[in-house]
Amino acid sequence: MPALTAAIANLKGGVGKSTTTVMLADGLAYYYGMNVLVIDMDPQANSSQMLLTEMGVQAASDQGKGTHHLLASFMAGKPPSAAPFIMPNAVTLEELRLAEEQDARLGWISSLPAHPQLRLRELSLEEEWYGKAGTPTTLADALAQHYREAFAPLQSLYDVILIDCPPHLSPLARAGLALADVYVTPTIADSVSTWGTKQFSDWVGKFIAPDLPSRNFVLITRFRDTKYARSVASDLREIYLKDRWFGPTIPESVHVLNAMDRAALDSYNTMRGKYSGIIGDVGRLAERFSDFMTQQTGISWHKVRD
Amino acid sequence: MAQGPGLTPVEYIDRFFDELRTEVRSNPALAARLVKALGGNVVFENDTKVDVANPYAIAAASTKAEFLAIFGSMKLAQLKKLLKEHNLATRIDMNGKSAEQLLTMMYNRAMNKVSERRSSMF
Repeated sequence: MPALTAAIANLKGGVGKSTTTVMLADGLAYYYGMNVLVIDMDPQANSSQMLLTEMGVQAASDQGKGTHHLLASFMAGKPPSAAPFIMPNAVTLEELRLAEEQDARLGWISSLPAHPQLRLRELSLEEEWYGKAGTPTTLADALAQHYREAFAPLQSLYDVILIDCPPHLSPLARAGLALADVYVTPTIADSVSTWGTKQFSDWVGKFIAPDLPSRNFVLITRFRDTKYARSVASDLREIYLKDRWFGPTIPESVHVLNAMDRAALDSYNTMRGKYSGIIGDVGRLAERFSDFMTQQTGISWHKVRD
Repeated sequence: MAQGPGLTPVEYIDRFFDELRTEVRSNPALAARLVKALGGNVVFENDTKVDVANPYAIAAASTKAEFLAIFGSMKLAQLKKLLKEHNLATRIDMNGKSAEQLLTMMYNRAMNKVSERRSSMF
């Protein structure tokens, strides 16, 4: 079966897109034994850094891996192919590493990392494209087509592909959104994030996915349990985005920050050690998202670990 | 000016500094912050080192020899606590490692993080 491709996206920055990407990757690989590919299309490279460390991101780039190299291959007019740019091991969990070592792979994470170079390459491509009378839309379409063909041979290798999208609508970002089967929208329970989420939802619904509500998984992140936040969260669920799937509310927690700070590329942690006080939230997120995947694809997923 | 029955302003100030002195004696991390804020040089003593010393800051400001001299006398449990508290290693990473190996790990990882995160503008 082809992988389900999910874009983790919102126009509002700072809502936890990268953190959600990593928590989903870990949760789905750990609890459901899924083979996960994380594609980082955000030049800030935050989810890549969380998975590979800063040094790992640079090392990957030096080895010719990453979305900026994939973009360069498009610019050079090479045939579409994504496999050479993927880091096959972006696992941080000890249980997954041990299972692999014992030839009993139960869940794995690979990464097509980003690098700050990505935005510079994209700007250079835009200048060149527009200089030849191209438009942002024709560039986004050409990129989407190239990427669709580049990822097609990989579809059967993965169960789920997570695309960490940047908080803007550049041609590359639009191409990433166009590749997705479903959309994961992290947001915060406050007024500015609610408005930003509405803008994003309207745009995607108008230009990319007219049936967005049925393919949209919304997650309230960095939740502080106050009367105001409860009220905004309730309005999101019952009024503004009432036709969407909602994941569990993820609390604002120092455990999240710690979990996303990998000590070194050869540093591993157990699921409990990594997520500590929010392990239950990561488990619920994986559970709810696997239900969403089942609803989208008809394939049922069963837990391989508790 | 603060005044109350039976206390002069000087006595109020004395009470404040008495409280501060008491806190500084029992809270080495606060003591280190206050000394640094006043421009002083923090000296790391063995029994308080684990509460005060920041491996990133020391790696950034010292030579490897100075780093090892500061942390080299720490016991295995103290090194583990420090590595964990500063996100420099997980329990898994530290399993079965000697104090010497942990010390090397702490220096290498702290230096790597510092070089990865420090602005090249300076």
